[in-house]
Amino acid sequence: MKTSKLTSSGPRSWSDLVPLQVLVPILSTVVALGIGLLIIAATGGSVTEAIEAFWDGMAGSDYNIGASLNRAISLGLVGLGFIFANRANLTNVGGEGQLAIGGMIATAVALHGAGSLPFGLAFLVPLAAGAIAGGVWGGLAGFLKAKRGTNEVISTLLLSFIALPIVYWSVESFHLLRKPITDLSSLPESPEIPDPTKLPLLFPDNGSPLHIGLLLAVLAVVVVWLVLKHSTLGLRLKAVGLNETASRRAGLRTSFYIILAMVVSGGLGGLGGAIMILGQQFYLTSDFSSGYGFDGLVVGLLSRGSAVGVVIGALLFGFLRSGSINMEITAHVPSAVVLICQGLIVIFIAGSAIFTNRKANR
Amino acid sequence: MALLELSGLTKRFGSFTALDNISLGIERGEVHCLLGENGAGKSTLCNLIFGVHKPDAGTMQLGGTPLHPRGPAEAIERGIVMVHQHFSLVPNMSVAENLMLGRAKAVLKPQDIIVRMGQLAAEYGLQVDPNVLIEDLSVGERQRVEIIKCLLGDPQLLVLDEPTAVLQPDEIDALLDICRQLTVRGKSVILVTHKLGEIGRVADRTTVLRQGKIIETVAMEGADIRSLVRSMVGRDVQSAGSVLAATVDMEEEAAAHPAAGHASDANGAPLVPEATGQAALRLSDLVYRDADGVIKLDGVNLSVNPGEIVGVAGVEGNGQTELGWILAGLASPASGSIFVGGRNLDGCTPQQITEAGVGIVPEDRHAVACIKELSLAENLFLGSINKFSRFGLLDKSARRKAAETMMREFDVRASSSDVPMSGLSGGNQQKAVLARELSLDPLLFLLAAQPTRGLDVGAIEAVYGRIRAARDTGLGVLLISSELEELMAVSDRIVVIYRGKLVGELKAGSFSREAIGSMMSGHEHV
Repeated sequence: MKTSKLTSSGPRSWSDLVPLQVLVPILSTVVALGIGLLIIAATGGSVTEAIEAFWDGMAGSDYNIGASLNRAISLGLVGLGFIFANRANLTNVGGEGQLAIGGMIATAVALHGAGSLPFGLAFLVPLAAGAIAGGVWGGLAGFLKAKRGTNEVISTLLLSFIALPIVYWSVESFHLLRKPITDLSSLPESPEIPDPTKLPLLFPDNGSPLHIGLLLAVLAVVVVWLVLKHSTLGLRLKAVGLNETASRRAGLRTSFYIILAMVVSGGLGGLGGAIMILGQQFYLTSDFSSGYGFDGLVVGLLSRGSAVGVVIGALLFGFLRSGSINMEITAHVPSAVVLICQGLIVIFIAGSAIFTNRKANR
Repeated sequence: MALLELSGLTKRFGSFTALDNISLGIERGEVHCLLGENGAGKSTLCNLIFGVHKPDAGTMQLGGTPLHPRGPAEAIERGIVMVHQHFSLVPNMSVAENLMLGRAKAVLKPQDIIVRMGQLAAEYGLQVDPNVLIEDLSVGERQRVEIIKCLLGDPQLLVLDEPTAVLQPDEIDALLDICRQLTVRGKSVILVTHKLGEIGRVADRTTVLRQGKIIETVAMEGADIRSLVRSMVGRDVQSAGSVLAATVDMEEEAAAHPAAGHASDANGAPLVPEATGQAALRLSDLVYRDADGVIKLDGVNLSVNPGEIVGVAGVEGNGQTELGWILAGLASPASGSIFVGGRNLDGCTPQQITEAGVGIVPEDRHAVACIKELSLAENLFLGSINKFSRFGLLDKSARRKAAETMMREFDVRASSSDVPMSGLSGGNQQKAVLARELSLDPLLFLLAAQPTRGLDVGAIEAVYGRIRAARDTGLGVLLISSELEELMAVSDRIVVIYRGKLVGELKAGSFSREAIGSMMSGHEHV
């Protein structure tokens, strides 16, 4: 028993798996898209038209590339948040709620005063407010976990179901964020945020909507990577996640680290929500988060704890989403087909873990 | 013709050869002990016989016909049963229900099981109430249920993998009796152990394994235990006297100490010795209640002086574990005070306790002492990684250097400081924990709870050496152990705990197994 344990769980560097780790996502995506095309063909759609529309939507123009990247930014931030909490063995499935709350608070701050701030503070302050709001939302679950042992999977999920109606309420209520009704077509949504609070574009001349959120996201990737891989904080989070009692004995304040992990995790999600509003949507609607939090969660899950993996996953899902939207509009292929493909990718990648792990254990 | 004939068995895990060309015969009606250090291949050999693993080379024969079990089920069919270190019982089901699991076909017949249990009770003295829930049984009783489960099908060969590691002394006696009973009825027993004393008492023959090879197989009649130790460890064990006393409960060793048990007080008055300066540890009226309000420590008063090892003897479950948790700062007492070097540590966090100069070697190495998934270096500096922090980033090369220094100093053997803790043998894990705790600065007091549990002779020797050396530099040590021989070999003073109370005290030179044993069981001392 002892000897077999020794050898089967011995040290094994990830580098042994790298070829597979690159190969598997690519193959998964190709196969999943192939199945998607089969479905389109089987339901009588035009495959060539669909591919054309799909490609056009993803990367057909500077505008579309920019829009795809903008989508990837928010997905990536939620994904980063997921792997950050996961380092402490916490599973934050509440990205959707944290993103929604972050977007709502960012809107509120942008509408009420931030517009007149100088030196870029006009958009930085709402972004910070959104991140803090998301952090509080995530931190709530962390607090419950640390003090009461509440399972964070349940609490983050339920907190999402509280967050979404709050956002709905805020755009329904004139006392809160709803814009005044000016004509019959006035929808329940907030007024547009002031121009100074909108994120500056990176390439204002070529019509790309890509904004400086990209730089923030890259910065976040580097910081999260450093913290998780090379910092004392990352090691402490890992220790607390692996064995709370031993960590406590070693003098770590375990409750603090659990709450911190959830605050940072939620904060990254909240930042993602704020960037969605300030970067491209410019006003709050009740359903602006539209599944980005859950897609971001999938990005985090598939990355297996690696910040680089989050970048790849966020790009993949960001571009897929853009393509599917365009495909639906121009080729009249339901975007559900792309959702099916996304689901297949998840199943393939997650399922491949069984084989790669088994191979590694041999 | 032997019952079980192994020839040329080899088993590799990756590049590691766990068993190398093992040839061995197990006779009918013998107790055959497998002796060896951790990682010598004992468990692997059992798993091959029981069909958990398949051999890479070699053959097995049972009763003259080839044996190639593809899984435990086939081994059981052939009459081979095994009791693992970890039990496979469902805690919230009754004994009879557990025995029916995996055996019942279509219709449950509890009466049949109860009748069969009655037979086994009559034959081997294996008494267990069939209707009681497993979770209400002691560890020893649970093991008895495991053995009954094995015997239901009337097997030929019983494999016991370190069955005594979890048992109390009296339960060990009962188990060894059962082994003898089995052989009287013509069954064979393979007993894996590294407790030499048990071998002397029960084995017909002993096979010593080292690094996957058979070193020797000896008949136990007239065998020299010391020579077994030598073949097991591969060298002469230093200070053989004390180590042997701890691992071999040879009667002459115990008898060497005059049986003049003197319990200073059995009436509940404090056992605080005359104060010489500041005590390394002083407990005053310590009371602890568990979550259900049950009193686990009942007014414990105790002093440990600098340069003194105080042993705490007692049957497990009499408050030792709780005492360890309180001293580690993982549980808070209901009332009472703790002083270390004169400083009051009531309500302190584990970190403050560490800073006050308290080293803790906890009872549960895997749950409390270390994080087995983290590397050796990470574990060595778990509480002190700030030393290697530059602007929050970890200086891994400085930490590696410090870890390597510590590994050399404390003889922690691992291929590098980056291997996960789970890749180390139990002995090296414990040495690493000791290294970390003994390197604290300041260090006034060390709690060592069950420090040699599950370790082999070589590692036990090293642990004792470290604890003694630390004592000699003026450290006060509290040694909690369920091994009487260990306490008698290492302690300067032994206190006995019974139902959360210290009921007696003996000084070195007046230790006696009988006196301590009777106090441990709650009887007034002799």
